[in-house]
Amino acid sequence: MTSTSPPAAPLRVGVIGTGGISRAHAPGWIETGSDLHCYSLEGAQEFAEQFGATVHASLEDLFAAVDVVDVCTPTAVHAEIVHQALDAGKDVVCEKPLALTTEDARAVVEHAERVGRSLFPAHVVRYFPQYAAAHRAVGSGSIGQLAVLRFERTGSFPTQPWFADESQSGGIVMDQMIHDIDQAIWLAGPVERVYAQQSVSTAADTVRTAHAVLTHTSGAISHCRGLWGPPGTRFRYTFDLAGDGGRLQYDSAGDPGVVFDEVATTTQRSGDGFLPDVSGMRSPYAEEILEFAAALRADGPTRVSAADGAYAVEISRAALESLRTGRSITC
Amino acid sequence: MLTASPTTDTLKIALMSCAHTHAGAYAARLEAREDIDLVVANPDGFGDVRGVSVVGSYDEAWNAWPGGPDAIVVTSANAHHRDLVLEAARRGVHVLCEKPLATTVPDANAMVAACREAGVVLMTAFPVHFAPAVQTLRAAVEDGALGEVIGITGTNNGKLPDTRAWFTDVELAGGGSLVDHTVHIAEILDSIFGEPATVHATTNRILWADRAGEGAETGGLVTLTYASGLVATIDCSWSQPAEAPTWGGLRIQAVGTGGQLQVDAFAEHVGGPGRWLPYGVDSDAALLEAFLGAVRDGRAVEPSGDVGLRTVRVVAAAQESVRTGQPVELASI
Repeated sequence: MTSTSPPAAPLRVGVIGTGGISRAHAPGWIETGSDLHCYSLEGAQEFAEQFGATVHASLEDLFAAVDVVDVCTPTAVHAEIVHQALDAGKDVVCEKPLALTTEDARAVVEHAERVGRSLFPAHVVRYFPQYAAAHRAVGSGSIGQLAVLRFERTGSFPTQPWFADESQSGGIVMDQMIHDIDQAIWLAGPVERVYAQQSVSTAADTVRTAHAVLTHTSGAISHCRGLWGPPGTRFRYTFDLAGDGGRLQYDSAGDPGVVFDEVATTTQRSGDGFLPDVSGMRSPYAEEILEFAAALRADGPTRVSAADGAYAVEISRAALESLRTGRSITC
Repeated sequence: MLTASPTTDTLKIALMSCAHTHAGAYAARLEAREDIDLVVANPDGFGDVRGVSVVGSYDEAWNAWPGGPDAIVVTSANAHHRDLVLEAARRGVHVLCEKPLATTVPDANAMVAACREAGVVLMTAFPVHFAPAVQTLRAAVEDGALGEVIGITGTNNGKLPDTRAWFTDVELAGGGSLVDHTVHIAEILDSIFGEPATVHATTNRILWADRAGEGAETGGLVTLTYASGLVATIDCSWSQPAEAPTWGGLRIQAVGTGGQLQVDAFAEHVGGPGRWLPYGVDSDAALLEAFLGAVRDGRAVEPSGDVGLRTVRVVAAAQESVRTGQPVELASI
């Protein structure tokens, strides 16, 4: 619960950065009955019209008008804006990754603790029903002790130019694979060592794949495979969890609930290749925002903590260090 | 085909040992052929290879014909491959050796060298080499359908072999799942992309911990890099649960600038809850056909002893990586 907002009043939420991910978060805020505000270098007006938000001309104006901020900017400025929001006394939702570097990620976590504000890293995959179901099953011991985990995530190369600049986005590891690194950690616990390799097409450098192998403290081992495929590549995610008491598998391409045949597919839009198609399920983006909002109002539990967000950055950085050096990195 | 035989129309084949679970499959297919005279040596007394001429020792098998066998199929425990293959080379007898070719690189080197010097055929038993799905993968890469291939994920998961305890005896098997299940995909990748530059592996012993031999890994992830930049990871774990309706499987996903292809070498089946009825091309029969053709021609074809040796080097590099925790240059092995 925030000190400035009585429980019955709507949350006043300031979305900072109104690009792709803000459009995924907004419906969740609307569902919570929040009073939406926004600030962005680009696209604020369009966002405001679409979601009924109030546009502010500066960060300071926005901070003055809201209780909570939702940081949806390019990754490279996450930490800087989170610090400003915390200094302004706001609770913060921050799109993953929490920051580009381990130091920056730890600093925002410590800052939030110091000032007694909430900081929620938006690791949305924890809110996908398939991963949530697997996590519950693993937690209840239904496949025994985890041994070998595999995760795949496939999409098209993001179109926003800042993703292509690894100093801004952290590349495929920090932007895309971090989801599966976080899943591996959520399921199998802390990581002792990371070995990673990346392969970038020599002909078209937007086509790239990365492999990371994590050795967990528990003894479990995980393989994360990311792919930014050629134009037209469909978003797809899979996992395969082998324990000494059974196995759990999921493949979004093999999800048989709704199947259009080849003819119908040509006239049916199914996701954009950049974000997963969530039309057939309760939106995980709404799910995460609702959980954060409930936690703010009632101090309830969330399945992802600020420290989890920082740890995912730390392990992703270790993977990047492995890419750079060709060595296995001890965490 | 028989008229091209350099020896006699009927090939005399000795299958050496029933220790490997594939012995029964090879024996049944050879026994069914009219151009083969088969003797099976079963010195370890395994009782599940039936309906064939079975003798109780290797000596009896070597001496089952006045001039000895034309060829042997080696299906002993992995660590015993070397002695049988060296003996075959000494006798001028052709060899199809079960994978992995050997448990050490020096053994595999010695076997390949001895067969080369003796002028006998040495092939390594990689039946999946002949699976139509794998042929499709090979063709799709070779004809450029996938564009520039940048990544591979391969999985060769199975149950813990349960009728032959030596599979998890590190002395006899050379290790655990890293030895048993890395080489099939390593051979397929070798046939398409050549040898990797580096090998990294991490393993554990969580699955089947109550049954696996001491020191035998049951889970493993092996990552290969190639000079081209290609990265490939092989999951070699024995991670198929005991209650699954089939032994396991082998899948490879290739991703490139031209898109993605995934193949499943054992997908062909009729299913149902708890049911798995495989059908389709018999890769074991295709392997034996290729070997018998090579014996008749006196010239090895793929999968050769050489690729058997190269995959043993990949495994040795993976084992070294597990020891050091770091990737290993294949050239150093």
